[in-house]
Amino acid sequence: MTARAAPAPLPPATTVGLQGWLRQNLFSSWGSSAVTIVLAVVLSWVVVNLGAWVFVEADWTVIISRVPLYIVGLYPYEGYWRLCICLLLISVLLGMSWRAWPNAARRFAFAFGVIMLFVGVFPHEMAPDHRALLLLNLPFIGLGYVLTPRPAETSPGRFEAMAGSALAPALERVAIFSTPRRMVIAALVALVLTMILILGIAGVPGLDPVNPQDLGGLMINLLLAFFGIVCSLPIGVGLALGRRSNLPILKVACVIFIEVIRGVPLITLLFMSRHILPLTFPEDLNIDRVYLAGITITIFSSAYMAENVRGGMAAVQAGQTEAAQALGLRGWQTTLLITLPQGLRNIIPAIVGQFISLFKDTSLVYFIGMLDLVEMGRVSVQGNQEFIDNGREVYLFIALVFWVFCFSMSFISRRIEGVLGVGRR
Amino acid sequence: MAETNGVQAAVDIPADKAEILARPLEERDDIVVCENVHKWFGDFCAVRDVSMRVKRGEVVVIFGPSGSGKSTFIRMINRLEEHQQGRIVIDGIEMTNDVRNLDAIRREVGMVFQQFNLFPHITVLGNITLAPQRVRHMPRSEAEALAMQLLERVGIPEQAQKYPAELSGGQQQRVAIARALAMQPQIMLFDEPTSALDPEMIKEVLDAMRELAATGMTMLCVTHEMGFAREVADRMAFFDEGALVELGPPDQIFNNPQEDRTKLFLDQIL
Repeated sequence: MTARAAPAPLPPATTVGLQGWLRQNLFSSWGSSAVTIVLAVVLSWVVVNLGAWVFVEADWTVIISRVPLYIVGLYPYEGYWRLCICLLLISVLLGMSWRAWPNAARRFAFAFGVIMLFVGVFPHEMAPDHRALLLLNLPFIGLGYVLTPRPAETSPGRFEAMAGSALAPALERVAIFSTPRRMVIAALVALVLTMILILGIAGVPGLDPVNPQDLGGLMINLLLAFFGIVCSLPIGVGLALGRRSNLPILKVACVIFIEVIRGVPLITLLFMSRHILPLTFPEDLNIDRVYLAGITITIFSSAYMAENVRGGMAAVQAGQTEAAQALGLRGWQTTLLITLPQGLRNIIPAIVGQFISLFKDTSLVYFIGMLDLVEMGRVSVQGNQEFIDNGREVYLFIALVFWVFCFSMSFISRRIEGVLGVGRR
Repeated sequence: MAETNGVQAAVDIPADKAEILARPLEERDDIVVCENVHKWFGDFCAVRDVSMRVKRGEVVVIFGPSGSGKSTFIRMINRLEEHQQGRIVIDGIEMTNDVRNLDAIRREVGMVFQQFNLFPHITVLGNITLAPQRVRHMPRSEAEALAMQLLERVGIPEQAQKYPAELSGGQQQRVAIARALAMQPQIMLFDEPTSALDPEMIKEVLDAMRELAATGMTMLCVTHEMGFAREVADRMAFFDEGALVELGPPDQIFNNPQEDRTKLFLDQIL
């Protein structure tokens, strides 16, 4: 190419920069200018009044004095260190994710470490050893990061460039989570350890069993939502495959299950699990309400999961199945190797969305007498004459906690979508 | 063979194929036999009464207006569509509802699609090695060696570790050819392999097909690339309204078509 095109003309100044943005978005016409001004007035009025209440009138001592109750419920104080260790395990997994999927997990891992740092240094009553354990989260994120090899398709980061070739062989040697299988095993081991640490084992010194009913606060919301979603994934896949199958009885059974569960509010399922289902149990069988709630939430979630999975698989192009058939793959091989993996990939954002709504739905377990975050809030206000007027502070705080979790999850979900988009047509 | 971009110029023809290729077409055995084949979609008769015999190592180009049943016809040869009347025999195996026959036929017949239909969630290498490992139970190392050999043959060995979406259309279609060849089929079906491609990529795919034809592969190609047909096809089949209207060598089709409909169609597209 020898001839060079003339430089492209610049856009008019009124369409670019701050001026252009304002003109296009807020003041594009008389009507839109009027709406902008009215909304600006209303919003500032709300913000000023709310701000005045939050920073001047509100009395936040109820929150600060009850933090452990909101976070872990009635969990025994002697076991707090075990929960701190669980957080460290999560940190290691987050560090691994950061390394393996930097775009999706980096900010979240970083934010988690910073929040732990903040809680660790925040001036309120806390034992020094708990503080120390919380402060260890940042180094543990780094540990997970180092234990995972750099994905082949990314270039070395600043840290590695600085560390240079001297450290490279050492880094390679410690990077033990080098295959997806090993990462999955690490996650499963962390999961089992977390359960052992939270619930304890009888007879092991330091790991005294905890009464499941003492699990509460934010911890029980998170645990129920997490186990609900993790357990409902395989069940949902099974139901979706059953619904797609050619075997009429299996198909009808799956359809009935899915449609019955989806047609009933979670709160009625919880009620039945607590008050009707036990009528069918043998007398000596006594399942704790925590486990009943977990099973109910899993069943509830798996019906929705099944429909998600079905939708995801239906979205896989027919050409994929044809190509697999033409290559001689059997029906089940085509499903397991071609349609299911692509279908699951299609619904990752939907799964995160379901997790978010399930997380919020777990606040319904107050109905069967569990002390989750919302119920803990109610108890801390109504059960104490001193704080009887502080309901607004408590529920605002609770709303903020839920929002922070849900927002960060939908943030990750959007990141994952972006990352997955690379591998698609 | 014409000088091609990236496609190996030297063609290795296996000894058994060379022996067959040495014989004239008339003396070879029929590898595809279709007798009075019909196919309906609801009330609509998509393929009516098609009979065709294809010799081992023969290249047949199938063409015709859209909706003429040509795609449906070749999709019946590996039973992506089920024929409802008539008889189809592939390399001596009768196409029936018997799953063993179907498995055997699908091992014999490879297919390349208009939309490539590569598996987007696995790498190029994984796409090619999947079926040999799962269907032919080939050890992974052997399957990977075979895949690399085939990628060399279609001229893109450096793309092995990439995902399909990272490749151009022409490269994807060449991967699709390599993927079908990895099952070591006796017959290759091409369903409009260049119709979804940008013009500059058509040549690289046709070159790969030319090379394949030169190795003695039996090929049924639905295509409108008349230059390719003239050069490579042993016979051409013109389909219209579900029927096989005319079947003959390219010379006859292009210069002396026996049917008015063939002549009319060729006048429209050439």
